[in-house]
Amino acid sequence: MPQKFEVMVGNKAVAHAVRLARAKFISAFPITPQTTIVQYIADMVANGEIDAEFVTTEGELTAQASAFSAGAAGVRAFTATAGPGLLYMHHPMIATRNNRIPVVMAVMHRGIKGMDPDQTDMMAQRETGWMMMECDSGQEVLDTGLMAYKIAEDERVRLPCLFAGDGYILSYTDEPIDIPDEAKVDAFLPPYKTMIPLLPDQGKENRDFQMQQWSIGQDVQTTFIEDQQAMENAKKVIKEVNTEFKKMFGRGYGNGLVEEYKTKDVDAVIIAAGTIASTARVAIDKLQSEGKKVGLVRLKTFKPFPAEEFQRIGPKVKAMGIIDRNISIGSGGWAFGEIRNAMYEVEERPRTLQFHAGLNGKEVRVQDIIKIGEKTLKAASGMKVSPLVEWV
Amino acid sequence: MSKPVPLVKLDEKEYIQPANQACQGCTGASVARIVGKVLKDKMVRQEVACCGPAFGNLDQPSLYGEVFEGAGAMSTGLSRAFKRLEREDAIVTAIVGDGGTTDIGFQGLSGAAERNENVLWICYDNEAYMNTGGQRSSATTKYAETTTTPVGEFSRGKKERRKNVAAMVALHRVPYMATASIAYPEDFIGKLEYAKSIKGFRFIQVSAPCPTGWRFEPQVAVKIGKEMVLSGLWPLYEVIDGEKFRITYKPKELKPVKDVLKMQGRFRHITEDEIKEIQDDVTSYWTRLVAKDGKEFF
Amino acid sequence: MMEIRFHGRGGQGAVTGVRLLSTALYYEGKYTLGIPMYGTERRGAPVQSFLRVSDSRIYERDLVHEPDIVVVLDPLLAKTVPVTQGLKKGGLVLVNHPHAGDQTGIGGPFKVATVDATKVAMETIGRPITNTAILGAFAKVTGMVKLASLEEAAHHQWSGRIGEMNIKAMQNAYEAATPAVDVSKVKMKDVTVQSRARKAGESDVSSWRLYRPVFNDAKCVGCRRCYILCPEVAIGMENNKAVVNYQYCKGCGICQEECPTKAIDWVQETI
Repeated sequence: MPQKFEVMVGNKAVAHAVRLARAKFISAFPITPQTTIVQYIADMVANGEIDAEFVTTEGELTAQASAFSAGAAGVRAFTATAGPGLLYMHHPMIATRNNRIPVVMAVMHRGIKGMDPDQTDMMAQRETGWMMMECDSGQEVLDTGLMAYKIAEDERVRLPCLFAGDGYILSYTDEPIDIPDEAKVDAFLPPYKTMIPLLPDQGKENRDFQMQQWSIGQDVQTTFIEDQQAMENAKKVIKEVNTEFKKMFGRGYGNGLVEEYKTKDVDAVIIAAGTIASTARVAIDKLQSEGKKVGLVRLKTFKPFPAEEFQRIGPKVKAMGIIDRNISIGSGGWAFGEIRNAMYEVEERPRTLQFHAGLNGKEVRVQDIIKIGEKTLKAASGMKVSPLVEWV
Repeated sequence: MSKPVPLVKLDEKEYIQPANQACQGCTGASVARIVGKVLKDKMVRQEVACCGPAFGNLDQPSLYGEVFEGAGAMSTGLSRAFKRLEREDAIVTAIVGDGGTTDIGFQGLSGAAERNENVLWICYDNEAYMNTGGQRSSATTKYAETTTTPVGEFSRGKKERRKNVAAMVALHRVPYMATASIAYPEDFIGKLEYAKSIKGFRFIQVSAPCPTGWRFEPQVAVKIGKEMVLSGLWPLYEVIDGEKFRITYKPKELKPVKDVLKMQGRFRHITEDEIKEIQDDVTSYWTRLVAKDGKEFF
Repeated sequence: MMEIRFHGRGGQGAVTGVRLLSTALYYEGKYTLGIPMYGTERRGAPVQSFLRVSDSRIYERDLVHEPDIVVVLDPLLAKTVPVTQGLKKGGLVLVNHPHAGDQTGIGGPFKVATVDATKVAMETIGRPITNTAILGAFAKVTGMVKLASLEEAAHHQWSGRIGEMNIKAMQNAYEAATPAVDVSKVKMKDVTVQSRARKAGESDVSSWRLYRPVFNDAKCVGCRRCYILCPEVAIGMENNKAVVNYQYCKGCGICQEECPTKAIDWVQETI
């Protein structure tokens, strides 16, 4: 297939995804390191490449709340943010998900402690019930942006989705990126339809507002059960969309939930996400060239957390070294907690080690990951290994 | 310019749910009812958490967002989407209390006004956060007792004067800004008809006295609204494009504010000096308004 | 443990009443949990609240579904709210009512005691806030709490004249309370009216009313002021005359206050 490559930064790749997805409502507010996303989109609107409502809102809260209502009304909506902007959106993000509006949002990680990347901004929004995906290259950012709409808008899902990448490392690094063909994307992504009738002659709103504080005998838990079911369905849909994307565009990302790298017959695996996983490939290559049997599992989808994938991989190895570029103060790392939870159901479960790396933008180098791999292998061999939690 | 509409000209069809869940004598519900009646089949309501959802609309679509601060944002998204869908005949109407307008909602209001979003914003002003039990808002009259500005040895009720949001919105140079009162339905309906006939950001702040929060018997709810207008506490005016200013109801002489203040339990404690302070404030503001009647707003 | 349910109206002191009773019981060494059951402030709407009373600490935090005692603060409520729902067999209903227990319309395998708390409240406080009066009757009829404890609680709640007026209300009602009578022979009307209907137009708020508007066609000039100002859409126009749908009328009184020809009479609802 003819491919159109251009060297561009990750933020521009996001703009292309928004253009190709034909988003019709784009709300924009700048924040480092996402600012140029909205600027690229503004350029595309100005020169006619994008035909959409481009609203420069007075803040991120409005950016999210207006994307929510635009999606509810019936147009494909997009917004982008990072760090504090993502935190500021917390309240309307929940409204978006409560109402099952499939807004798609790009996040260029900016950790909660500063300007530099880590996943703590996304982690702080774990409970919003959004689907969350982590990318390890500019290309994946573009492709995931397109896949996100298809997954989110699927009838079985209808949940908003954010796709993220490390700020600076992906947002501002130039890479050669293939821009998919417009006609192909149109075939891949059908037009958007809202499930909420809001047009004047469409919807008859005869809702009697219930003001009671406690609802006796009413089934008030149902929508939680439905949302949870939608997330479960999403696991299947993510895999389907990933397969379809690979077929149409020649690129897939593992199975959409996780991506395994050189995991055949290994004794241990490193679990990592985002750009750390990208660097980890080099570490794995080095380790395996020395006969050290450790592979890599890249965690792409954080929500819904693909517990089943780890229950599949777990029994095959003796140890997992889990790298979290995040931490919940007072608890621990995101992936570590979820994977351990998943492993409880597994009879022959591997040992699990927690590593924190890259927080507050700390550089993660190949040699750091090699050390992680070696420690994990040591654990796989049955030797005593400490500490359980290590800051790299 | 708006023109008052005689009540006999109104269509019979109702667009608000009868026997709502609001308090006895809720003038906010009457405001919402009138809005629905005038805007009819084209109205798409946008609601936030406030007393508003207690008076639900009928046969008109509504988006309720549990985002108290988000009326400006959510009505923006609706209006822009309808434009994309080539359905600009839909009149996106946010029916919001004073909290969602002047305080937590202020940022969104200013943003939407500044961008001249095609939205009609109706603020039913009951001068406090009534839905949560009556806490003060920036729209609360000075010296009023509310649950967060109680009267005691060290407190005389609300310390600050009302925030003049109406003027602030007009200064965004929006196509239409008006004040109205439930006690003057013909004037209010006329303003709604005018707002209905144009596009862009339109804002009507409607005085809606609250029996529960202001502490008076429900039956005098509208009467108090009338006395507020007659005493100059709530002047009725409109501003077009932020420039042309017109008082739409001009009593020859203002009644003293004391009478209407004394009708309300929330001012039970008020002293003669405090009344005088409010009176001087009202008189001075009215004088300035009268001086600019028919001229430029700012 | 005793479980009590209170039926009142929003803004009419049901919660304060429960708190006073809880305080009085606390003075007597009891442990109580007073649980309100309404959300936002809706003045005039029928509301409920619950009280659990025990000698030891109470851990149960769900609502009271099968009370031992039901207290009804307003005589009109028994007509439109199912006040005996869940009441245990042999349970007691104490209702604010001018007549004796077997003449309140409340029937079933229960006992009913009454006190004209509205009359007592009007005589002592000057307003129809019946929470303290009914507590005085509660002390007499149930024997669960001493009048002196209630008075102490009232002192704690209010200072000065207001406290004194409320204590007088308690004392008078204590004297005026009628004893509980068996009402198993009384046929109670099935009350299924739902003020919070799911479907629009089905709401019935007539239980909110203490007064009703009565329209005088002869004086009505069809100005439509009452029609447009009614918050409940209870008033319509027929042949250019205002007519009211009582199902939708909360009895707020705006119509009769605003009518320019005084064509609306304001009539107290009969019990």
